[in-house]
Amino acid sequence: MEVEENSGPFRRTSSRTRKLANKMAAALSSTDNRTQAALARLEALENDNAAPEPLEAYDDDEASLDDDDDQVYTKKQSKNAKRKTRQAKALENVKKAPRTFMELLQEANLEALPPNVPSYLRAAVGPPSSTSRRHFCAVCGFTANYTCVRCGMRFCSPRCQVIHNDTRCLKFVA
Amino acid sequence: MSSNVVVVDNGAGYIKAGIGGDRDPKLVVPNCIGKPLSSKKFLYPDQLQSQDDLTSVTTRRPFDRGYLTNPDLQKEIWSHIFKTLLHINPNTSSLLLTEPLFNLPSIQHSMDEIVFEDLGFKSLFVADSPSLVHLYEASRRPDGLISRAQCSLIVDSGFSFTHAAPVLQNFTLNYGVKRLDLGGKALTNYFKELVSYRAVNVMDESFLIDEVKEKLCFVSLDLHRDLHIARKPGRDNLFKCTYVLPDGVTYTKGFIKDPDEAQRYRTLPDDSLSLLPITNGESGREEAEEKTGDRKKIDLTKNEFNLTNERFLVPEMLFRPADLGMNQAGIAECIVRAVNSCHSYLHPVLYDSIILTGGSTLFPRFAERLKRELRSLVPDDYKVKITTQEDPILGVWRGGSLLASSPDFESMCVTKSEYEELGSARCRRRFFH
Repeated sequence: MEVEENSGPFRRTSSRTRKLANKMAAALSSTDNRTQAALARLEALENDNAAPEPLEAYDDDEASLDDDDDQVYTKKQSKNAKRKTRQAKALENVKKAPRTFMELLQEANLEALPPNVPSYLRAAVGPPSSTSRRHFCAVCGFTANYTCVRCGMRFCSPRCQVIHNDTRCLKFVA
Repeated sequence: MSSNVVVVDNGAGYIKAGIGGDRDPKLVVPNCIGKPLSSKKFLYPDQLQSQDDLTSVTTRRPFDRGYLTNPDLQKEIWSHIFKTLLHINPNTSSLLLTEPLFNLPSIQHSMDEIVFEDLGFKSLFVADSPSLVHLYEASRRPDGLISRAQCSLIVDSGFSFTHAAPVLQNFTLNYGVKRLDLGGKALTNYFKELVSYRAVNVMDESFLIDEVKEKLCFVSLDLHRDLHIARKPGRDNLFKCTYVLPDGVTYTKGFIKDPDEAQRYRTLPDDSLSLLPITNGESGREEAEEKTGDRKKIDLTKNEFNLTNERFLVPEMLFRPADLGMNQAGIAECIVRAVNSCHSYLHPVLYDSIILTGGSTLFPRFAERLKRELRSLVPDDYKVKITTQEDPILGVWRGGSLLASSPDFESMCVTKSEYEELGSARCRRRFFH
């Protein structure tokens, strides 16, 4: 029963909830959030480590300490000077940190190649011929028939919906 | 020929390195450096392998999405391997190196730089993996179709991606290559995500989950049927098994609680016609109750988790990446498209000589499932034959070893002086890249 109350804002009974739902609908009809979420999720599948490595891994400890001092100090200085140091820092970081493949790919400018030359981009297999996508419950993995109205993830039963709402809803969107 | 040839299959997942002419590489180590909790600094891959406790290792890889993005790190790993593990002197040896298909020119450039300028190898030959696999398979069966037609379709499902590449006369037909951006790494991460959400948080345990994936995952031949079985309670559920996590005290390695139980899925009949009786509705509720019962049963003093449908849903993604939200066709369609982009005379031969290689093809029943999917996509009058390599992880290296021991290998290489004279880009033309 508690759950019923939790999902209250999404029922179309009172005027207040309708307002919310409209806003939500507007946000969702752009589908931007959801595609972004889907991309973020796929991106996450290529991560080496679950949590991003702390940046200090690339500098030694002392350097990062110095940085902190700098920031405190520059706060009192004019905006211009502050921006400069930040830019310089950013440049340094770019030099130090290895670049991602996507950056290298952009740099290679493969789109500029004539269309008959095979390249990384043209070797991608492309979209599937059948558009039917099977959906699996985000909670238990079985065939899912329902979609979460807020985040678009799938669930198979009210049980799983409860778990989904409590734990994972909007995880990738927010 | 007093010099020796070092063969390195530089995968994004594992580096396979050894001496040309040998049957097996001297070492197979992960291509990464890692920092276990117990250590303050990053360890080299071989040190990492000898560690007992690999929980919560932070890894750093030179490869991103299958391509070399951190040359400095790769240089460190290579020089460590060559100096302290293989004990070779680069000045007097040649190097046979593999690179991913469609390697970017900037990456090739930095690779050449490492090989010639930092490590100082005498000469270099760069090969792509499909042609090496073809070479190896063709030499194994001199009178087989692959070596008579000099033509095969290599399906290489590795760490970062899966390629279907037609090979003709030992050359990869690059206009026919099709790539699916899904490999072992993404599957492990997906598996990690599932287990972390449903049971124990293992997001930091890449090595452990990799092992669980290798031991327990398999390809379902009939997803619909298997999902039904996975719902069943108790003994009827052929897929349920329990994996015990290391606790760091009594055992430092995780293990399968009951290996027999884990193998029970093999008793399933192969053909999907013999569907087991399905009851809907009621059984669902029973199953739910059973599930809660099971959850209580899990011994909390031991860190362990149960697996059911995850075992086949993870490899399933290779066949249907769309289920994951990727806008890419599955591996079977990938093969069909690769074949279709070749000349139509080649189609029947290519379908008849599909070779599977790469670590992700090691899932049990991978080949059977692929054959089934292909059969429905390929015209009736073509035969579909799928060959699995005896060791898909080492297949590429063995091909390289074979090539390195051929008499005209030296003449195919680019020497250091040529590199210094002509630069990276010109030298690369020799490899037809």
